[in-house]
Amino acid sequence: MLPPMLWLERQVVATLASDVDHRRRLALEGYVDGVLRAMPEHLRMGVAAESIVLGSGEWVSRRLGSRRSLADRIGGWERSRIGPIRQYVRLLSSLVIFADEELAPEPPDEDDE
Amino acid sequence: MTTLETEILIIGSGAGGAVTAAKLARAGRSVMVVEEGPWVDPDAVEPFSIDEMVLKYRHQGASAALGSPGIAYAEGRCVGGSTEINSGLYHRLPPELADEWRKTYRIAEFTPDVLDKYSDQIESEMSVSYLPGAPPPSSAALERGAAKLGWRAVEFARVFTYDSAGRGTKQTMARTFLPRAVDAGAQIIAECRVSKLIRKGDHIVGARCTRKLPGGEIESLTIRAEHVFVCGGAIQTPTLLQHSGIREQIGVGLKFHPTIKVAARFPRAYDHADVPMHRVTEFAPFLTIGGSASRRGHVALALADSASDYRDALASWEDVVVYYAAIRSDGSGRVTALPGLKAPLVTYRMTDADQSRLARGLLHLGEVLLAAGATELYPSLAGGTVARRAEDLVDWWDAFTPSRANLMTVHLTSTVRMGDDESRTGADSYGRVWGYRNLRINDASLLPDAPGVNPQAAIMTIAARNADEFLSHL
Repeated sequence: MLPPMLWLERQVVATLASDVDHRRRLALEGYVDGVLRAMPEHLRMGVAAESIVLGSGEWVSRRLGSRRSLADRIGGWERSRIGPIRQYVRLLSSLVIFADEELAPEPPDEDDE
Repeated sequence: MTTLETEILIIGSGAGGAVTAAKLARAGRSVMVVEEGPWVDPDAVEPFSIDEMVLKYRHQGASAALGSPGIAYAEGRCVGGSTEINSGLYHRLPPELADEWRKTYRIAEFTPDVLDKYSDQIESEMSVSYLPGAPPPSSAALERGAAKLGWRAVEFARVFTYDSAGRGTKQTMARTFLPRAVDAGAQIIAECRVSKLIRKGDHIVGARCTRKLPGGEIESLTIRAEHVFVCGGAIQTPTLLQHSGIREQIGVGLKFHPTIKVAARFPRAYDHADVPMHRVTEFAPFLTIGGSASRRGHVALALADSASDYRDALASWEDVVVYYAAIRSDGSGRVTALPGLKAPLVTYRMTDADQSRLARGLLHLGEVLLAAGATELYPSLAGGTVARRAEDLVDWWDAFTPSRANLMTVHLTSTVRMGDDESRTGADSYGRVWGYRNLRINDASLLPDAPGVNPQAAIMTIAARNADEFLSHL
């Protein structure tokens, strides 16, 4: 059984979807959770391991009083020299971007107005 | 544990499995098809939508070949396999390529005459056709851009039927060969995953499976069969064979078409419901330029792949269409079953020549889209700049590195190559696995190379040919 969304994954998704309304964000989180559970096991394990390592760093820095926001940190990970860290952000942001647009409500039909 | 019996067990219901099932059932054989994925009504979800990805894609679309760069890929996982999720383009195997394969791998009865005979059969049952009337704007753009540059572009045929209003319906396996197989007596079991083939000497005597019952419970199942065809596609077929202890020349030599995308913004709204049917073939077979699914989510993803600010373009996403450049690759990959895990490790190594070809393809794609009237181009390159003029494309060449390119692919082939040269193939000229008297492969795994075009036609043609050869021995 593959792990569901981990703490950092949930935080990253919430940050990337911060301007999305609550209801859509729940649907979006459900979609990301479903994809993470459906991934090939070895890829999911790699993502989970990154989440634990990066999440531990984030948790510790918060405990030490760091004021750096998670959004800033995600920006840093996107530009990281370490490929898997860049890919980690890319994976989660791709899922959020795709789901956010696909779950966006259709504009009202002009004929209906 | 439930035990079922059949004369012929077919594992997988995509282009290869469905054709095999219909051929053998019509010949009066007892046929059972098992498919890991669910039955989904072809009209149940919109093509390329998020619902389709959840219901019909393996891993909900989150599959990737590891390497430098990693390459995302997609496979169908439902009754009908990848034919349920692809764009339905149909292209016969180019005769010069078939000839090259025949000589290199010593494939018997692989001449144009033989292949044409089976292609004719397939096409007579598949409604292979061209779009009635004018092409949609997204497709016409490729034709127009190519014409301005003096390049060759063609409309590809598709497996579509059209109603009197010109609305198309893709003729997937769930709409064509599978119902015909059932009409001829075949049985199809959906949501039935084969975990292992049961070997006895040089025979396969059956398969161990788990089946999801209508109530949701999981049932262990053994299916005993006199003959087994594995048609799970180029990733799942070698995985099953390796899990069953069959490894000689299995899973090596994976081939596909590495693909890079560009989101092109035009001065007005374009169509988004369909995939463009024109292709720029000026550089074929080594490089093909075409159009991709361009729903709102795909447009957003493609725009986000470059590091540029894309908010303005996304706000008018109806003006944006996603296009691609795909190459025939010199590189190759491997599928390795991992003990205890369902999904295999998939790796792929692109050569330096591949990367150069892909970078050149990206520039050519930019040229043709600008010639077609696109005003902004967003490449799938992390840090790639927006191109508005031909001079801007030079920056893409410098920006193209393995770590910055976001690549994907859909046409996976060649993991159990066919041919009589036993040192280079996993199966003989008709798909019989070396060392096993009653085990055959009949899917994309058999193709010795990725053909440079959508391989569905080649898969179906070869499957029909191999099924006939099998019947000739019964």
